[in-house]
Amino acid sequence: MRPEIISDQDRYPTLTAEGQQMLRFLREHPHAPIFRNESGNRLTTDDLEQVRKFEKELELSESGWLENEVPSWIEEFVEQCLTAVPFYRRYGSPPNALQELPTISRGDLSRDIAKFVPDSAPIDRLINFRTSGTTGHPLLLASHPIVAANYLALHKRALRRFGIELRHGRGQVGVVLVGFQKKCFTYVSVTPTMNESGLVKINLYPTDWRDINDRAKYLDSLATEIYTGDPIAFAELAKLPLLSKPRALLSTSMMLAPSMREHLEERFGCPVLDLYSMNEAGPIAVADPAVGGHALLQPQMYVEILDEDGRTVSTGERGEIVLTGGFNFCLPLLRYRTGDYASLRFNGREVVLNGLEGRPPVRFKTMSGEQLNNIEVTHSLQRFAIPQFTLHQDSSSNLLFRFQGSTQQERDVRRVLLELFGSGQQLTIERVESFEGKVVQYTTEMVEAP
Amino acid sequence: MQNEGPLLEELIDRLGETPEDFLADPLIGRTGSVHVVAVVGDLLRQLGETPRLGELSRFTSSHPQQDRNRLSVVLLLCWLLSADWFHRTKLSKDQLLQTLETTSDELSNQVASKKFIADPDRREELVRTTLARLGYRPAGETIAQAQDRLSTLSSAERARVMKAAQIAEERARQIREALARKAAEESADKWTRE
Repeated sequence: MRPEIISDQDRYPTLTAEGQQMLRFLREHPHAPIFRNESGNRLTTDDLEQVRKFEKELELSESGWLENEVPSWIEEFVEQCLTAVPFYRRYGSPPNALQELPTISRGDLSRDIAKFVPDSAPIDRLINFRTSGTTGHPLLLASHPIVAANYLALHKRALRRFGIELRHGRGQVGVVLVGFQKKCFTYVSVTPTMNESGLVKINLYPTDWRDINDRAKYLDSLATEIYTGDPIAFAELAKLPLLSKPRALLSTSMMLAPSMREHLEERFGCPVLDLYSMNEAGPIAVADPAVGGHALLQPQMYVEILDEDGRTVSTGERGEIVLTGGFNFCLPLLRYRTGDYASLRFNGREVVLNGLEGRPPVRFKTMSGEQLNNIEVTHSLQRFAIPQFTLHQDSSSNLLFRFQGSTQQERDVRRVLLELFGSGQQLTIERVESFEGKVVQYTTEMVEAP
Repeated sequence: MQNEGPLLEELIDRLGETPEDFLADPLIGRTGSVHVVAVVGDLLRQLGETPRLGELSRFTSSHPQQDRNRLSVVLLLCWLLSADWFHRTKLSKDQLLQTLETTSDELSNQVASKKFIADPDRREELVRTTLARLGYRPAGETIAQAQDRLSTLSSAERARVMKAAQIAEERARQIREALARKAAEESADKWTRE
């Protein structure tokens, strides 16, 4: 197949001269990192109208429902899914109650995502998002530039809970997405709905910089209003001698321990928001100490809590978070089991996820004594068709890799893991028939140095 | 279809009056509410047969995603087969079980269960298919007439379903390709990455 040529016009269809200037500033700054990739907002003028409409509607709408109530939009949503989404179509007729329908899981999405894309979704505008698969199923998800852009309205809603209204605009940098991984997708862009403010995705890993001291210099020049990233990247960011002050940090992807949050808030002098967000559904909830849990953000996202057997638990009881709805019109979710756990609490119509247990970050130790983020392992292994696996490091740093599936790739998996962890690493590989119960994919007994 | 059966209209009307209990969701795992095996068992007993548990296993499932529609159609068939005419006609247990199984398999692949109530053509198709599987045709029709009408109904539906399946498969292929292309790999801006 001929490689597809993508122009800046494709990446930034509405780019102005000022926007171009911002891209140059971000890219050609003397202290800029090595940008490994290119990407853009891909938003057309019509798309922008849709994005602004979504934001306006979101400002006016309330998320939530009353205890023992199912939101009124569910019935129509279910009917649409059973009519227009190939996977759900085979369920047959709409049920009398949502709870009568089967649940789906990450495994269903990973088997064939195309079956979850509604008949009405425009194929020529599809984009994808890959997830690292902390539950053992790497995923390629269908999405759309409008969906990606709509994240911002939900972030704004989350920030508003903390009294923050975004102020940045033309000529300023709105957001820096920070990562701290050996390999990371990095690029520059602009946000058209914020007057083409700058957006930059960087990797703080030293190999992505010409000079390690450039990291703080570059970020100080950008003086971004918001940083987003995971707790591991923020831990690295916090070590930099930054002079500039962001107005907030948005943490996603991994569980943010309260002590880490306090540390970051103290270090940066701003609120640190812990977002419960996933590629399958976007930002779902934000931790708000005022309500003692994660408050839901999306008006059209219904949450059920189910037990192991798929039964709805009583309010206040812990169970698996199951989602119906969402704003990704390329991937409507109908009773999607997330693999995350919480209980529900109601403050009137406001619904709070209590005691959310997401995906805790795991840092392994390599033979050279370096820390290795579990995401690195996932990325390295995602090329292998392994349905499910776990990796455990014991207190003597020995590794146990357990997997379900064919043994054909065992040798390659061993090679990749030894490349990651270094030669001399003790590694046992075991094939299992199946994993029972919830799989905790990454575990370690190694104690981190304070 | 060698044997003349009941009036078509009577059975079609009966389907139109299917009680809520037979329209509720089949119990599969923890979802749904109607125990299909129990309903099939009751039907057989009403018709003078004694079902063994093993014979009914085909009407259970632990895969709601795959079997919800099929078992919903089984429930409709149970309601249909409990009509007076079937009580009066001596049908064997094997005939009944076979008909419940093959008819539900065949029809549920094509149509959502409640369409067999709401759509007049599908109602007629369900009745005619059931009678045909039992070796009967509607009263007052010749074999040729009955075969012709059933074939018209089912082939039109089959053609529609085949066409829809082809379109869906082609679209799924295009989606997979689109997602694999570099443009999709490059993705688009989100302020947070998960």
